[in-house]
Amino acid sequence: MTYRLGPALAAVAAALALAMPAAAAHNAPLPSPLSPLSPTPPLGGGATSSAESVRHRVSAATQVHVSISPSGAPFAVTADQSLHVSVKGDYYFTIGAPLLDVEALPGSGATPGLRAASIIWEGFNPLRRTLKARATLDPAQVRGALPLRIDVSGDATTLVNETGVTVGSFSADADPAPLVRYMVELRHAVEGGGRTLPEATAHLTGAARTVPVRVTVPLLVTGTVGGKRVSATVTDRLTVHAHGRIAVSVTPELPALGALHGLSGRAALARATALTLTVGRLRQYERFLGNPDPTGPETTVYLYRSATRPAPPVAVQPASHGRDWTVTLAVLAGVLLAGAAGLTLWARA
Amino acid sequence: MSLRRLALASLVVVLAGCGGSSSSTGRKQLLVVVNAPFSRTPYLGQAIENGARLSASEVNASGLRIGDTTYDLKVQTMDSALSPARAVANVRRAAAEHAIAVVDEGTGIDASWRVARGMPICIVFEGSKESVDPATRPNVFRIAPTDHGIAFRLAEYLIPKGLKIGLVHDDSDYGVAGSAALNEAFSQNRSSIAVDETVPADALDLAPQILRARRAHATALLVWGQPATIAAAITAARTAGWNVPFFTPPSGADPFVRQQLANHPSWVDGLTFAGGRLTAEVGSGPFRRFEQRYEAAYGVDRVGVKTREGQTVIQPPETGMYAYDFVNLLAAAVLKAGSTDPVKISSALEEVTTEGANGDERAFNKHNHEGVVDDDVYFARFHDMTYAPVKDDPLSATLPTIPQTR
Repeated sequence: MTYRLGPALAAVAAALALAMPAAAAHNAPLPSPLSPLSPTPPLGGGATSSAESVRHRVSAATQVHVSISPSGAPFAVTADQSLHVSVKGDYYFTIGAPLLDVEALPGSGATPGLRAASIIWEGFNPLRRTLKARATLDPAQVRGALPLRIDVSGDATTLVNETGVTVGSFSADADPAPLVRYMVELRHAVEGGGRTLPEATAHLTGAARTVPVRVTVPLLVTGTVGGKRVSATVTDRLTVHAHGRIAVSVTPELPALGALHGLSGRAALARATALTLTVGRLRQYERFLGNPDPTGPETTVYLYRSATRPAPPVAVQPASHGRDWTVTLAVLAGVLLAGAAGLTLWARA
Repeated sequence: MSLRRLALASLVVVLAGCGGSSSSTGRKQLLVVVNAPFSRTPYLGQAIENGARLSASEVNASGLRIGDTTYDLKVQTMDSALSPARAVANVRRAAAEHAIAVVDEGTGIDASWRVARGMPICIVFEGSKESVDPATRPNVFRIAPTDHGIAFRLAEYLIPKGLKIGLVHDDSDYGVAGSAALNEAFSQNRSSIAVDETVPADALDLAPQILRARRAHATALLVWGQPATIAAAITAARTAGWNVPFFTPPSGADPFVRQQLANHPSWVDGLTFAGGRLTAEVGSGPFRRFEQRYEAAYGVDRVGVKTREGQTVIQPPETGMYAYDFVNLLAAAVLKAGSTDPVKISSALEEVTTEGANGDERAFNKHNHEGVVDDDVYFARFHDMTYAPVKDDPLSATLPTIPQTR
């Protein structure tokens, strides 16, 4: 298990540890649901916009196609992203990603530009414009940012949730009522695709201590494994007793809120903290390539398919137009032997 | 070899070494060549040179530091005289003299890109589609509106108006390339074309061709050719009392058109041209600041006509802006490459972005070596010898008017 404090959370924990006298009432900010818990995803630092005075509204939808070998290892990854841009004006978007290539998809209102580590979108939006690109990604660099790992062993195929990360947070007694209200509000905002997510401060009634929190985004997995139908929410791992062709769709989702009545202050704080952290983690996987509009919605679906790894090109041996050195040596040896035999015969003659 | 020749040869070798000679600042110099038709179209050549020199002087204020060495940019001009052979010879010479880039008007590019041996060449005027192709000509870039972009934007603008368009193009390289681009742009809407006329580029009287367009019931004329052709077409129509609207590519804004029609200013009124935008949404501020620096260094470009109130009309430095933007990108690419190797600089040009003189981003990438995208083409209409962006096009309507009088 890895134990790592996210920068924002580390600051919160340190502030709490240093500034708060034991058992004193105190307000402490909860982790922001907007904060990522690891550098990736999104890939390559995400997306940015440098459009002059225009703040474009962009909604993004991405399909990540993961081609996997018979053992379940990804060997090719492409991402089809659609950016629906509104608000008239210039745009200049940079979508960071470890790219091998990029091309426009049918229906795109412009052609994407390719750089070593980013897609470039540049132009003028007359009112509404849809930008569609297929990015071919470097699988070696992308593998660690995929939400699901597939292990095939014998007759069993195991689907492993890879979104888990351990971060530092804090635990304390707290006033539960505002925390419960906040959880409901945050949940509604996420479900409604809200452009802004609420942040909150907890009213602590006791001493706080730093604690590690394991954050995992549940994955809704549907499809088939070796012909067997699969439809499950994978929070840790799921073993399917089948092997063969795999075709599954993976959608990161928010966990159910569960019962909130009768929670103690400490339990309410733990649940609220876990929820904000999970929302932050969910947003990371929903923003695999990122959205140049930081408050714009983005969804990402991951499609894993068994595929045949393309054979590497075979270098063609140039046709030989003469003898190689072994033939030359053999001929030379033959000539020398014949010469020696001739000399011997001549000497005896 | 005499001692004198030997000494001279040694000196040449020293001067031609990597990094070139030292400047007055004591820094090594990187050569940037401007290859333009100075003797045939001095206004164009001078504009390209001025833009390149202005950027170089700004870059040299702090120099380009690579490792332990700081470099200045040195701009040198070579006259192509609109001759492809001479343009190619110039580029060959630039490569031999270890130039790091050529800022080029575009003549002879079909051969000169090859002799450049990977050194970047940036076209800042000519717009034909074939000139720039990152796959086959990886060292050729362009910062200027393309014929393709101009033609498609004209089609996009004109077709919804329901006009019957008379296409007129001259037989110059520019006119022929424009005709090809227009044919492609209108290929799905041939019913919008009333007539398609080719005229001689050096013809003084286009009355017969314009009469044919009128008899074909054209309700608008789209003239793609040299400025002289545009002036001649307007003269022919107006002399015949035909008040048909005129549309043109950027050559319609060339000072020569207004100079030719100076005795009939009203004939220029309503002339609409497509061109690369001079301003961005942040307003005219960035371009005005560039223009002030340009004027402070090289003076204003007077058109040679006045408004009805007697104000002197000047030409905004559009082509100079493109040359200026390229040299800025070049400086960024040298730093990105961390090298003075022209081939590495060519690759680095695909990875850098700078703010252009008009406030817009200037950038190339691996798939696109065009620094002016089709979306940057706007429309402007003349009134009283100056022009302003039209209001019936979404992009143009957002753009401010650049002052053109002094």
